[in-house]
Amino acid sequence: MPEIVLEHVTKCFGKFVAVDDLNLTIEDRDFITLLGPSGCGKTTTLRMIAGLETPTKGRITIGDTVVFDSEEGIDISPAKRDIGFLFQNYALWPHMTVYDNIAFGLENLKWPKDKIESRVREMLGMLRIEQFEKRYPSELSGGQQQRVAIARTLAPSPKVLFMDEPLSNLDAKLRLEMRSELKRLHVDTDSTFVYVTHDQMEAMALATKICLMNKGILQQYDPPLTVYDRPANLFVADFVGNPTMNFFPVKASRKDSRSFAFHMLGRDLVFTGEKDIAEEASDAVIGVRPEFITLGEGAFSGVVYTTLPSGMETTVRIRAGEDFVTAVIFGSVDFSHSLEMPFGIKGNSILLFDKASGKMLSMGTVSEA
Amino acid sequence: MSNSRKTTRILNNMKSYASKPANVITVIFFIILLATVCFPLLSLVRDAFTVHFGEIRDVGKPLGSFTLYHWHTLLFDTLYDYSILTFWRPLLNSFSMAVISCIVAVGFGGAVAWFITRSDIPGKKFLSTIFVFPYIMPSWSIAMFWENFFKNTQIVACYNQMGMLESITGICVPEWVLYGFFPCAMCLGIHYAPFAYLLIGGILRNMDANLEEAATVLKASRFKILRRITLPIVTPALISTVLLVFSSSISSYTVPAFLNKNGSFSTISTTMRSLFNTAAMQGQGFVVAIVLLIFSVVILTLNNKMTGKRKSFTTISGKSGQVSLVKLGKARKPITAVIMIISVFFAIVPLVSFALESLLEVPGDYSTISLYYWLTTDTLEDRVFGSSQGILRNPTIWSALGRSLLVSFAVALISGTFGILIGYACARKRGSKLARWVSNMAFFPYLIPAMSFGAVYLSVSFLPAFSFLRSSVLLLIIVGGIKFLPFASRSGANAMMQVSGEIEEAAFVIGVPWWKRMARILFPIQKASFISGYLLPFISCMRELSLFVLLAAPGSIITVVLQDFEVNGLTQISNGINFLIIMIVLLVQFITNKLTGASIDKGIGG
Repeated sequence: MPEIVLEHVTKCFGKFVAVDDLNLTIEDRDFITLLGPSGCGKTTTLRMIAGLETPTKGRITIGDTVVFDSEEGIDISPAKRDIGFLFQNYALWPHMTVYDNIAFGLENLKWPKDKIESRVREMLGMLRIEQFEKRYPSELSGGQQQRVAIARTLAPSPKVLFMDEPLSNLDAKLRLEMRSELKRLHVDTDSTFVYVTHDQMEAMALATKICLMNKGILQQYDPPLTVYDRPANLFVADFVGNPTMNFFPVKASRKDSRSFAFHMLGRDLVFTGEKDIAEEASDAVIGVRPEFITLGEGAFSGVVYTTLPSGMETTVRIRAGEDFVTAVIFGSVDFSHSLEMPFGIKGNSILLFDKASGKMLSMGTVSEA
Repeated sequence: MSNSRKTTRILNNMKSYASKPANVITVIFFIILLATVCFPLLSLVRDAFTVHFGEIRDVGKPLGSFTLYHWHTLLFDTLYDYSILTFWRPLLNSFSMAVISCIVAVGFGGAVAWFITRSDIPGKKFLSTIFVFPYIMPSWSIAMFWENFFKNTQIVACYNQMGMLESITGICVPEWVLYGFFPCAMCLGIHYAPFAYLLIGGILRNMDANLEEAATVLKASRFKILRRITLPIVTPALISTVLLVFSSSISSYTVPAFLNKNGSFSTISTTMRSLFNTAAMQGQGFVVAIVLLIFSVVILTLNNKMTGKRKSFTTISGKSGQVSLVKLGKARKPITAVIMIISVFFAIVPLVSFALESLLEVPGDYSTISLYYWLTTDTLEDRVFGSSQGILRNPTIWSALGRSLLVSFAVALISGTFGILIGYACARKRGSKLARWVSNMAFFPYLIPAMSFGAVYLSVSFLPAFSFLRSSVLLLIIVGGIKFLPFASRSGANAMMQVSGEIEEAAFVIGVPWWKRMARILFPIQKASFISGYLLPFISCMRELSLFVLLAAPGSIITVVLQDFEVNGLTQISNGINFLIIMIVLLVQFITNKLTGASIDKGIGG
């Protein structure tokens, strides 16, 4: 079944390298999100798999078919790759009614008329847009257009479905709604989904696996929680998570095979890894997720800088000497400005990075020396 | 409410209305356009129903009284088939000529537009540069080139002169290839093909490529995508193009005037010209002008009907940068060759031919190359108005060229500036009725055939109050300024629409005065578009003949002088002048483009 394999795929636009030597395997029925800041090459990657863009180098296989190979000169047209593609701006044909938009792909498959009609009806029903059947796209709202675009893409039951930021043009409420519908669709349709987004929350919520890219280079390819808990490097750690992780650059000296000593936030501390750490890390960065900062008690002292309550949780920024520390606490509190606030670091999910390479060296605990 | 409070409120309302520059501009231009577009039109209609000086005897009524005589005579006089010969047949000729030229222009221009925007044809930059040459050249250039190329010793009407084809291959084409319906239609088609290319190419470039990709992914074939997706989406633009080319061709004066030396092919505009030149028939000339006008109005209405409503759509959106180009494969070489050869043939060869023709002492005899017709002080021909010495020594040509440059410069200044202001007002007051009126009136001159537009102002200059305008340079400037306003106001409006109001408001709230916002913020942002709004009227005006032919005094502007030499058989000089005009136009266009990035395709603005 359609396992998608990318081998050494590179794409250059002139001198600019959009995607650099990308290797990726997408399992059948996965829901993959290609995540990254704008310009990182995620859309280009998607379009290359779909066949809308020709890679400069490399080899792409969908299922048993090599659809692209620069060395053998194979480049199969997107029409023959048996895929569906959902565009960011929907790309509905403005001169066709909703019905015609959905039916067009089925006509191309030479389906008989009555089968087309029943399939279109099914899709209209599934996406709850029956009443718009005779309308033109310009007469629909953004959310309705989105549904039509999804219906059009799903109608021929593609085995692989590509989506290029399909929710970015919707308002926040509708986006949440469509997000859950997409996830449901993934279960219902039994297809492989590849989804491009720059919204890490969306990627976390939807994907079975996240492929995080930056500047054309693959950063990490793992399930969402792994990406969140064990980011491969500083970039990933910084990109994923909201509010972002606290980073503390430190001068570390080795204590034993799995621990380093350093000075941070005015205290002498020790990082103890979950296992032996082979690499040396004299210039290191300690990463602490906001949820691992405890407020009200602890070894460190600081003052409240800002408090941002959002109802369910509250983000608190604390100033500790030269450093700022972000913490998240459950529930809604509003600390007064400049309040003295002791805080601590808890748990065994603290991260140690090598500053120069950015690589994550170990997960572990931080304790007083 | 007390009366005084009411007055205060009205006064305050007026004050706040007048404090917004966009409002003031709209009102001012409403009045200006009323005077320059609507009033002359009324005057034209009046002239078609009144007795003029030369017609008193024929009509048998006093000067200036109401009459239906012009209409009746022109449309229904059966004596010697008068109305058939002077009206119906020329109308039919013009109509069929326009249909053929539409097909040629849209077919060829559209195909090239598609190849350049959607396929992997090589040499796109070169092709798109030279392909617009025929449109930059004066409209008769292709006709003149056609004559230079095909004339031969077997045809009397071209004074048995030898042309390029005959001197190279010895082939003599029959007369119907050289003069009459076929060459007129072809030359017009070739002249307007770049125009079609610019319009259709603009739409294709702006069309969201995702629309086509979506169809590719859904397994539609290339041909099916073209037929079911691309064509329907560009249809509104295609229809506009067809209608605009049609309305320009049907009223074209210069091409039939150049390619009708044997007198076999009369068109509605050549008829109109000769009616105006006959004192007793001016009234009928105005009738023809009105008929042409009605054609244009019908076309405008059709255009609005067909492109409006439910299925109208903006095609501009999305990531059109990432177009996947059609691979032409095996057909690539032959297609490239054909397009290249045709483009070069009609873009470069005419220039060579004009230069060459002007150097031949004996037409067609390439052994007689000399600078005689450029440098001689001999009087070459008595029938030509003014002096008829060699081009470079001829005071009439020099002063006419100077006057042409002056007129074109003034026209560009007027229509360019007006265009920006109208564009600004319409963009800021989008949806207001007055603004819509102004924008429609500013576009209207585009639809009035150039010669009818000339006729309109001719009729104004016949009014006693405006007699000072008759045959004056000022009249030419006014006519040109208004006639070329549509281009400038369109590109002005497009450019203004693209700048969000907030950019101006940001300056407004910190107290930057209006003129400074225009000069320091809006103009620099859309510099290229605005300068194109100046460039296009300049170029159009420099090479314009149809518009001015009824209005300009003999020897006054360069195009009129050119035609005078041409009809009197001094083709070396007319070719030389044409070469000069084209060189000036190309030079101005090239320099402006290099300095500011403006170009004529931006001016047409798809």
